[in-house]
Amino acid sequence: MKKFFRCVLLLTLALFVLVPSSALCQGSIKVGIILPATGEKAKFGEIEKKSFEMALEEINAAGGVNGKQLEFLYEDDTGRPDVARSAAEKLLTKDKVVMLGGGYGSSETFAVAGVAQQNRIPFLVNTGADNKITEMKWDYVFRLNQPVSDYPIALESFMTDVVKPQTVAILYENTNFGSSSSREFQQTCEKLKLKVVMNEGYQSGGVDFKPLLVKVKQANPDVVYMISYLMDASLLMKQSMELKLTPKIFVGGGAGFTLPEFVENAGKAANMVYSATLWYQTLPYPGAKEYYDKFLARNKLSVDYHGAEAYSSAYVIADALKRAKSSAPDDIRESLSKTDMKTVFGPVKFVAYDKMTNQNKLPTYLVQWKAGKLELVWPGQTATTPYVYPIDWEKVWK
Amino acid sequence: MEMFIQTLVAGILIGGVYALIGLGMTLIMGVMRIINLAHGQLMMVAMYITFVLYEFLGLDPYYSLLIAPPALFLLGVTIQKYLLDPLLKIDSVIPQNQILMTVGIGMVLTETIRFIFHSDYKSVKTSYSSATFMIGSISWNVPMVMAFGLAMLLTAGLFFFLLKTDTGKSVRATAQNKDAAMILGINAEWITQLTYGLGAAMAAAGGTLLLPIYYLFPDVGAPFTLKSFIITVLGGMGSTVGAIFGGLVLGVAESLGATYISMALKDAVGMVIFVLVLVFLPGGLKTLTKV
Repeated sequence: MKKFFRCVLLLTLALFVLVPSSALCQGSIKVGIILPATGEKAKFGEIEKKSFEMALEEINAAGGVNGKQLEFLYEDDTGRPDVARSAAEKLLTKDKVVMLGGGYGSSETFAVAGVAQQNRIPFLVNTGADNKITEMKWDYVFRLNQPVSDYPIALESFMTDVVKPQTVAILYENTNFGSSSSREFQQTCEKLKLKVVMNEGYQSGGVDFKPLLVKVKQANPDVVYMISYLMDASLLMKQSMELKLTPKIFVGGGAGFTLPEFVENAGKAANMVYSATLWYQTLPYPGAKEYYDKFLARNKLSVDYHGAEAYSSAYVIADALKRAKSSAPDDIRESLSKTDMKTVFGPVKFVAYDKMTNQNKLPTYLVQWKAGKLELVWPGQTATTPYVYPIDWEKVWK
Repeated sequence: MEMFIQTLVAGILIGGVYALIGLGMTLIMGVMRIINLAHGQLMMVAMYITFVLYEFLGLDPYYSLLIAPPALFLLGVTIQKYLLDPLLKIDSVIPQNQILMTVGIGMVLTETIRFIFHSDYKSVKTSYSSATFMIGSISWNVPMVMAFGLAMLLTAGLFFFLLKTDTGKSVRATAQNKDAAMILGINAEWITQLTYGLGAAMAAAGGTLLLPIYYLFPDVGAPFTLKSFIITVLGGMGSTVGAIFGGLVLGVAESLGATYISMALKDAVGMVIFVLVLVFLPGGLKTLTKV
């Protein structure tokens, strides 16, 4: 009897596995999306996956790609490059996807890009920001988002026009993203003739950042620039408040500093903190506000640039597949490189600049947390509210 | 000098909590001769219990010390009784397949929690989370001091249990020689269940104490499993006194490393000590204490 049940169970399971792949996928176009679904970066992966799904529903409701349904196959990179690599290999060899999308963490994205280039399959990166991803002259790798060296462009003009600081301290998470950000920002500071008094990495997931912050306090900089993911960002701000570390401004380099969870976890310590950002819902891009409202209504969660990147990336993928002569990788690559469209994230066109190729070029912005809300404050003409500067930390933290 | 003392204080305080978590793993190691690789994940479950109590009932995390550890004790006993003990009866190619089982249990716990709570980061914001007081020019974080104090109290309680009570003596007897203990009429099966439960409860207490300072998400456990493992080896595989020193040494080393070498190498410092101890002091810190 027991054996019988086991057989039935196995058969049912087998049915579940087999049916969708044969019945549902008839005539669909499969694209592999690699995002972190588990591990420390899972939160970001979740936001991006929701955005991908939203876009996919809309694309398929509007007729899919040339009459065929588009299908996204998600793989989890767990936030580790080796896993990302095997996820990409699995999508290419087993699922036979026509192209790849996604790519959150820089280290994982870089690993996936390597696999894509080796197998000559196009890969559209939507978040991995380390410059070197598009600096390798890999002609199958395209990037929608700004590279990490562009993150502080808005901050640069804000510093020269408003803050006029003398000294800067840089703290960064010791990953691909963090260390390349800090390197680029150090060069920016040198260009602006600012003294970098400290440039130090830390291991993500720490409980106590005070040893690091005590050192910052002794260096007493005008600007503290931090490149951190979500919870490190919250702890860094909370502990800065405890130690009464008071530079002229705290600036986050995107990533963790723009998520609603940052203010939820850091509480009043998040107040008045600036951050570089790549997108804001009030920017004059067609559909930006609608996307933001729709995401909010669907998920009861406000969304930052990460979601917008993923959402737009889905549209760019669909657009490239529509225009491709066939589903051969080289045809898709060809049509991706000719992309010229408007998305909620901004206009998308892959060009070569600095040392990068197949790179989309977009401006960046500066946001500030005010009473639990993220507001766009710089550059001036796009700002939703005026910036607050100078900041009286005693009053803000009371 | 001030920076040195501040660093030392931070290291000792966090070391106390590490010690409590590490003690749980050491206890399990001592009695059952296996490394409990689900240790950090058990701690994570306890942190979620504390979080839920705080979020929905408004219960202060410190009161959860009366709820989360007993709950984890029951979970631990259940795991030992229904998942680990049955493996003892099966012959397998790998002699220690219980260890593999703990890895599996850890994964199941993590994914179950992810299924219920998603990957969202949560934290408990108490009025005293960021409170500090100054002694001289050294700043002391209130919940950190509380955590250290309570961890030491719980450790003292564990020692009282092990040294003075009959059951505690049975635990030690089983750790020293299981066969002899059984001959003398000790119910070894119950003792292993009790030990696993106790180990889980210690991890739970550590997690609960960390919550006001730290944050939680489903994957928070893994780094703590690693830390407990380092502490267990530092202390000398199963020595409880060694584990306390192991925890403190790890905390202080991490803290000093962060200040004077680089915070980027914080985890590396722990690993270097781990290797040094294995090379020069294979028996762990207990060979120095002679306990």
